[in-house]
Amino acid sequence: MSRRAEGSGGRLSGAAPPKAPSGPAPPAPPPPAKSTFTVLFDGKAIEVPKHLNLIEAAKLAGVEIPHFCFHPRLSVVGQCRMCLVEIEGMPKIQAACTTPLKDGLSVRTTTDKVKNCRAATMEFLLINHPLDCPICDQAGECTLQDNSFGYGQQFSHYDERKRQYPTFDRAMIGPHVVADMTRCIQCTRCIRFCEEIAGTGELTFLDRGGRTLVWTHEGKPLANDWSGCAADVCPVGALTVREFRFRSRVWYLQKTPSVCPGCNIGCNISIESRENVVYRFLPRLNPEVNDYWLCDHGRFLSESLNLRDVEKATIRDGGKVGEAHVPAAVERIAAEIRATLEAKGPEALFFLGSAHLSNEENFLLRKLADHLGCANRDVFADRSRTRRIKSQTEWLSGEEAAANLRGARDMGATPGRGGFGLDALISGKALPEVIFVADANFSEIADDAEKVAALRRARFLAVAARTANALTRAADVVLPAASLPEKEGTFTNVQGRVQRFERAYLPKPPVRAHWELLLLLANALGFGDRNWTPSDLLARIAAEVQGYGQMDEGALAGGGLLKKGDFAWKGAP
Amino acid sequence: MEPVLTARVGKPNSRSIETYLADGGYAALRKVLTGGWTPDRVTEEVKKSGLRGRGGAGFPAGVKWGFIPKDTKGKPIYLLCNADESEPGTFKDRLLMEQDPHQVIEGIIIASYAIKCRSAYLYIRGEFYDGARILNAAIEEAYAKGFLGEDILSSGFSLDLTVHRGAGAYICGEETGLIESLEGKRGQPRIKPPFPAVQGVFDCPTIVNNVETLACVVHIVNRGADWFAKIGRNEKNSGPKLYCLSGAVNRPGVYEAAMGLPLKDLIFGDAYGRGMKNGRKVKAVIPGGASANMLTAAEIEDCPLDFDGVAAKGSMLGSAAIIVINEDTCIVNAAQNLSKFFAHESCGQCTPCREGTPWLYKVLTRVEGGEGRPEDIDLLERICNQMANGMTICVFADAAIAPPLSSVQKFKDEYRFHVENKRCLVGPKALVAV
Repeated sequence: MSRRAEGSGGRLSGAAPPKAPSGPAPPAPPPPAKSTFTVLFDGKAIEVPKHLNLIEAAKLAGVEIPHFCFHPRLSVVGQCRMCLVEIEGMPKIQAACTTPLKDGLSVRTTTDKVKNCRAATMEFLLINHPLDCPICDQAGECTLQDNSFGYGQQFSHYDERKRQYPTFDRAMIGPHVVADMTRCIQCTRCIRFCEEIAGTGELTFLDRGGRTLVWTHEGKPLANDWSGCAADVCPVGALTVREFRFRSRVWYLQKTPSVCPGCNIGCNISIESRENVVYRFLPRLNPEVNDYWLCDHGRFLSESLNLRDVEKATIRDGGKVGEAHVPAAVERIAAEIRATLEAKGPEALFFLGSAHLSNEENFLLRKLADHLGCANRDVFADRSRTRRIKSQTEWLSGEEAAANLRGARDMGATPGRGGFGLDALISGKALPEVIFVADANFSEIADDAEKVAALRRARFLAVAARTANALTRAADVVLPAASLPEKEGTFTNVQGRVQRFERAYLPKPPVRAHWELLLLLANALGFGDRNWTPSDLLARIAAEVQGYGQMDEGALAGGGLLKKGDFAWKGAP
Repeated sequence: MEPVLTARVGKPNSRSIETYLADGGYAALRKVLTGGWTPDRVTEEVKKSGLRGRGGAGFPAGVKWGFIPKDTKGKPIYLLCNADESEPGTFKDRLLMEQDPHQVIEGIIIASYAIKCRSAYLYIRGEFYDGARILNAAIEEAYAKGFLGEDILSSGFSLDLTVHRGAGAYICGEETGLIESLEGKRGQPRIKPPFPAVQGVFDCPTIVNNVETLACVVHIVNRGADWFAKIGRNEKNSGPKLYCLSGAVNRPGVYEAAMGLPLKDLIFGDAYGRGMKNGRKVKAVIPGGASANMLTAAEIEDCPLDFDGVAAKGSMLGSAAIIVINEDTCIVNAAQNLSKFFAHESCGQCTPCREGTPWLYKVLTRVEGGEGRPEDIDLLERICNQMANGMTICVFADAAIAPPLSSVQKFKDEYRFHVENKRCLVGPKALVAV
């Protein structure tokens, strides 16, 4: 699986891709003691791990038990009364989530009594819930909608005024979260998230009975670092995030598995896009990395992926900047490199990789430098405020403002023997003739006039860029490069886990992925095969880079997709 | 029957420890602590007496004490005295606490000894301001006399007793709701299991007993389990019992009688209610507080007021709050009144109760207001049936449906009259044409 031994198996939901079978599997050693219970679901026996909740166990058995308040990472409260089942030997209907698993438990989920009780709960939930789904932002990923469709009835006996919460509807309760108590079904998942996972406890129940509402303590804002997750766990449209609210209907969104570019924890995300525009990030369930969670810093980077300043390649000729075709611009860079190589040798070249670029891209850059005999290369990432995310078992922290510093270094995008790095360049100790920057947005340095001036002392400066900054304005050649959702590749996170991000959509020509631009340049300089793809490069990485030989398809793919408000979603993106 | 629990009620200075001691108070405690009684012997004695919880559920108190795990893994054991007497129509614990606090305190100390509790709490409803003040004064007296604190009566047994005032929620009388509230949390019942005897307040083994139950313990120790078991209709329904009589009777109040007092005697007996006010007829009786099903005039004919006797009539003794409704009362109005209480007091965690109780109130209000529809009668039954029997965490919903459901079932004609004629059948609103 991943390079960490414990990266294999142990995944909770069936949503995560199974291990790729390679030949006949060795027979599993017999377990020392029985670690499972035999539970009967509607007469069908299944072995389930002892630690599971009955709802999760049912999921394993392929039996769906509808629920609202249950969440696998939050305490069990048994409040929504949707997961009602019949348990053999118990006269009354039972909530599945509060029923302890035991050997021989016999659960009935399809009897008339169960159906009637679930329909009753649905009716109760809907009597005060607005039935205006078409104007609710949750529609399409609403558990209440789904369960109403699956387990409710098509009519209501309720004929009174619906409850309303003036001043508690459509109000910002924090920098990101919009609360609409009219839609709340009082499942308390958000309260429990803030208390048990974030540990900040901003939210609470106010009042009681039919007037119960979820709000922040004394009007203090819901401003923890994971406030978006409080909206994520909300099964209805009561908590939504301001940044995404009413920007797209969710059924138009395409979910693409990716990795968060915010820091080096490498949270598994799905990029939700539509017609080449990113609308939001949602976490993907990876218990070993980000579990169900995603921090606000990462979540709200989604907007920034839509920024695009550099749409065409440009070449500066004598003080004048003119547009050019990408191949022509690449050829110009290649020509400069060739000329310098002949005149002054490889010591006069400098290649700068990027911690924002994939392993494949940094690998290609390093191989190109090697091909030219150039040891002058480097990679740099800004330090960031410490980002934290809770995996299933521990808190992870990321200190870098880029996703892949570790991977870039592993790929060898660091000064080679006798070569110099970025420090020497900026301090003026080294003065190369030609500098190639694979990612003009590699750091805040690229927008720092003094430091850019140091780079600009080179005779020729070429960059690949998506957004404009001091560096692109100073460069001789600027190549239009793709954003994260426009390309595929792998990042190596703080744990050393290699994780793949997939392409959501193609960049708008002539914009090309960094690896394509690098490959064009390498080809022009007589290195590499023009048909290489990121997967070919990954295969070469596996063959050449120490520690990358044991990559497993399952771990590369990472966590399973989620939808807002639910905890495990089996289905095509 | 000579009064047992209420022996000192009405006497001058009944609250002071001097009166209590002069009356043989704290003799039971002395008997237990210095007479060589083991904790288990106290529990056995209470089991033998057949004492059933006086708070409403009627669970045998000694058996409950026996649920404390033998090995608590170093965790302390707590005794909580449930003095959150909030059931509409109930006012017996208030009488015991305000008139004879030392009897309650002595019961708490003996029960604490039996379950090896070192620190007991008395959770009193917030509105009982006087009760809390009186109890605190009595506790101070008990500390001063050495009945509370370290090394009580040189027996090596120590106990601290703290009065905790609630903040005015009916649901905090439910034992796990009480525990949550005592812990400083929002008062909402917990999921059971684990039961409080295993994991209660502060996650430690906890016994929650009603005030009257604990007061009974004193007399069981004093006079023996056999004496206690012989009082009452049978061994399963034994002991003296306080009945709270209210409603349309001549003399409402708290009456002590042997368990199993016929309901008719309570209402009409000279020693008790002395008949209906103004000679009106009985229409319905709620025998166990607002949570109990209504009984019709026919059903009260031969109804002994004990746990099994009332249960046989399809209702429950509950907290023994007998509310008498006379023929001039509109039954829809009565049900609406009670359902308003339950809609107000639902804690709001479970969907069926949170949404169902206000719905019931709204429908009953509509019917009472003359805007009912024929289908509303079925609707009321339907809502009730959708709320109870395992649909919620605690039994609040089961209690909340009792008044509307039993009244709809037993007085359907009156509901029909209401819907068809848009006015009450009886009562002040009966003649108002809408």
